[in-house]
Amino acid sequence: MIIQLPTATPVLQSQEPPLLELRGISKSFPGVRALQDVSFSIWPGEVHMLLGENGAGKSTLMKVLCGAHQADAGAFFHRGQPVQITVPSDARKLGIAVIFQEFSLVPYLDIAQNIFLGRAPRGRIPGTLDRKRMLAEARRVLDLLGMDIDPRTKLHRLGVAQQQMVEIAKALSQDASILVMDEPTAALSERESEQLFRVMARLKAQGVAIVYISHRMAEVFALGDRITVLRDGQRIRSLLPHEASPDALVQMMVGRSVDMTYPRHFTTPGETLLDVRGLSAASGIHDIALTVRAGEIVGLCGLVGSGRTEVARAIFGADPVISGEIRVFGRIHHGGPEAAAKLGVALIPESRKTEGLALNRSVADNIVSAGLPKLFRFGLFSPKRARDIARDIIARLSISAASTQVAVGTLSGGNQQKVVIGKWLAAKARLFILDEPTRGIDIGAKAQIFALVDALVASGAGVLMISSEQSEIVHVCDRAYVMRDKRIVGELQRDELTEQNIVLLGMHDA
Amino acid sequence: MLDQILPTRHPLLVRIPGVVVMLAVLSIGFAWASPGFLSWPNLSNVLAQSSVLLLIALPMTLVIMTEGLDLSIGAVLSLASVSLALVAVTTGSLLLALLVGVAIGAACGAVNGWLVAWLRIPPFVATLGMFGVAQGLALAVSDGQSITGIPTSVQAMYSGTLAGIPVPILLMLAATLAMHALLYATPFGTYVFALGGNREALAFAGISQRRVLLCVYTLAGAMGGLAGLLLTARLNSGHPSAGIGMEFDAIAAVAVGGTTFERGNGWLPGTVLGVITIGVLRNGLNLIAVPSSLQVCCIGILVILAFVFEAFTGERTGAQV
Repeated sequence: MIIQLPTATPVLQSQEPPLLELRGISKSFPGVRALQDVSFSIWPGEVHMLLGENGAGKSTLMKVLCGAHQADAGAFFHRGQPVQITVPSDARKLGIAVIFQEFSLVPYLDIAQNIFLGRAPRGRIPGTLDRKRMLAEARRVLDLLGMDIDPRTKLHRLGVAQQQMVEIAKALSQDASILVMDEPTAALSERESEQLFRVMARLKAQGVAIVYISHRMAEVFALGDRITVLRDGQRIRSLLPHEASPDALVQMMVGRSVDMTYPRHFTTPGETLLDVRGLSAASGIHDIALTVRAGEIVGLCGLVGSGRTEVARAIFGADPVISGEIRVFGRIHHGGPEAAAKLGVALIPESRKTEGLALNRSVADNIVSAGLPKLFRFGLFSPKRARDIARDIIARLSISAASTQVAVGTLSGGNQQKVVIGKWLAAKARLFILDEPTRGIDIGAKAQIFALVDALVASGAGVLMISSEQSEIVHVCDRAYVMRDKRIVGELQRDELTEQNIVLLGMHDA
Repeated sequence: MLDQILPTRHPLLVRIPGVVVMLAVLSIGFAWASPGFLSWPNLSNVLAQSSVLLLIALPMTLVIMTEGLDLSIGAVLSLASVSLALVAVTTGSLLLALLVGVAIGAACGAVNGWLVAWLRIPPFVATLGMFGVAQGLALAVSDGQSITGIPTSVQAMYSGTLAGIPVPILLMLAATLAMHALLYATPFGTYVFALGGNREALAFAGISQRRVLLCVYTLAGAMGGLAGLLLTARLNSGHPSAGIGMEFDAIAAVAVGGTTFERGNGWLPGTVLGVITIGVLRNGLNLIAVPSSLQVCCIGILVILAFVFEAFTGERTGAQV
């Protein structure tokens, strides 16, 4: 993509205090330190690029900035004066407007009503809207973005790109002095992106500060006046664009590998368990080809939204396949999830709490749940047999549970994940598809999960593993496929498998 | 990219078909089966009889748009009916009866709203509880008996005319216009859409979801009280089972009108047409002498047909927001 930003005059930070300064911001969620002592300043008229891998803390920082999350520690300064941002209205009063990636739009309101939700111009009769002014104002902002569309159009009639433009219009209409954009061009066409960049240039000239999160290297250098790199919830560096090359930025985003032992015994792979050719699915993935052999852990990486989960779902039969062929254990598989499970394919979903486990049922119930027809003859359930199977799995996976009868919801995240894997082991699965198996799990439990996965493949199973944590892929996988924009853009063999290579392949226009 | 190529239709050309088609088919059918159907006195009667249902179906649309439901509305109507009948009989004052009816309805609605918004009790459960409470109170207040001797000033609310137009039809018009203005011409209305469509958007806009929910349920209760007055005037008595089954008719009217129970998709004109469709159905079935038990059956089938119709001719729902 070619980006021209008409008047990109670099703004240097002046002697004045910054428009907004964040000092020592920390924010934790249960089990995760999302932000750790992050400081960050924005001056008027600058575009400040925020870079980092998935989970580096960009989105959390943004949500703290707009009052959606409350920081655990740290201080905010507006033009040098200490201020508080604890609720969204605080941020709005300071002139902060946010363009969200998950849209903050209401489907059955029209464009104008969406743009002015919560701050509509009032009519002469108390409690009414000034519809005329609302439409005129909406028209003005839409024109600014070059959108030729009736502001009375209901939002649910718009495509994703147009909805993104409305989200942008909503932020612009607030006449904000600080505009935060979370990957605004991810859903836009080239023409729309360029229109957005022209608007950004105009806003810059008016002294608006823009915080811009992007995964596109070209944008980072074309638009950015300053760049801040986040990694693992910490600020790694803030620098000017001419001080860094794309390679150096990638290096900063990836960092040195975290010190962690990955128990893995590489062996020569056996027969092909999964063979996918030319697979396209209704979910948008296109022309996917991949193989998994017995004894292998194969990584599937790429940015969030690049289509990794969709590939897993299509293979499992959860999404309609448009074309292509899936061979499982040498046989063509074109059935739904039930048929896949019967064949011995296990999909361990990312959101194990909602998709993988019945949290208020016992460990035993969960462990036998995937293999009921295989484990119990004539459709008769036997609690004793269920307990025996559960005991065996608990011992084999060293799950720490008080008994087979405690509710799964009471176990720790790592043990819950083991129960999910255990239920497919009990069902005698041989091909495991793991979607982010270590999300929300602490380091110690991670090592145990990987030891378990290693034991799985050593016993002749094959694993396809989706992970956003590239260090995991690098250390654990035999090979990895990298996805971008719903396609596989490259395959990395063991000797080429480095975090740099993954990031370079997965980045847009890198 | 397909989304951008498809033309955007005019906002008014949406979803009218379902309910209009059903109304047209029913009207033509009944006109053919029963010559008296199309006479002005009969049609005016259909409208007047629909007035009670309309008063509760309008706010029910708003409740459903917030992903809620009000199962208590029929019982609240009964409670308001017996209470205001007692007041009317003892004082003879229309105004007092009106105030008592609306106040009792609003109080019940406010409790519903509080349970749903503050205690986060699912609307189904909260209003089911209120259904029992209101029904029980209605029986207790009236001692299980009809309250008769309603003053003529109250009766005139249903049987009277103003400038030649029956009062209930005027009330219908006023209520429809007021509710339409509330939903489409006030900020409050946009918040109702947002409650069902994207609560996070509302939170980012700094609007209290709870207060909007409270208002919606209170409004439903108050309108139930007003409907209680109208029904008392029509029956010429306050009766503790006057509103039995009205919540079914109200929800049915909303559903027939094309409100789809998801993502804050509500359509007020559709509800008005849905109410009239149900009125026409009941009236027509009466004319061809179908017993009232089977009429409920027919309304049930109508609701299901409305959704089947929607499934086949329904518009493209567009991208998920």
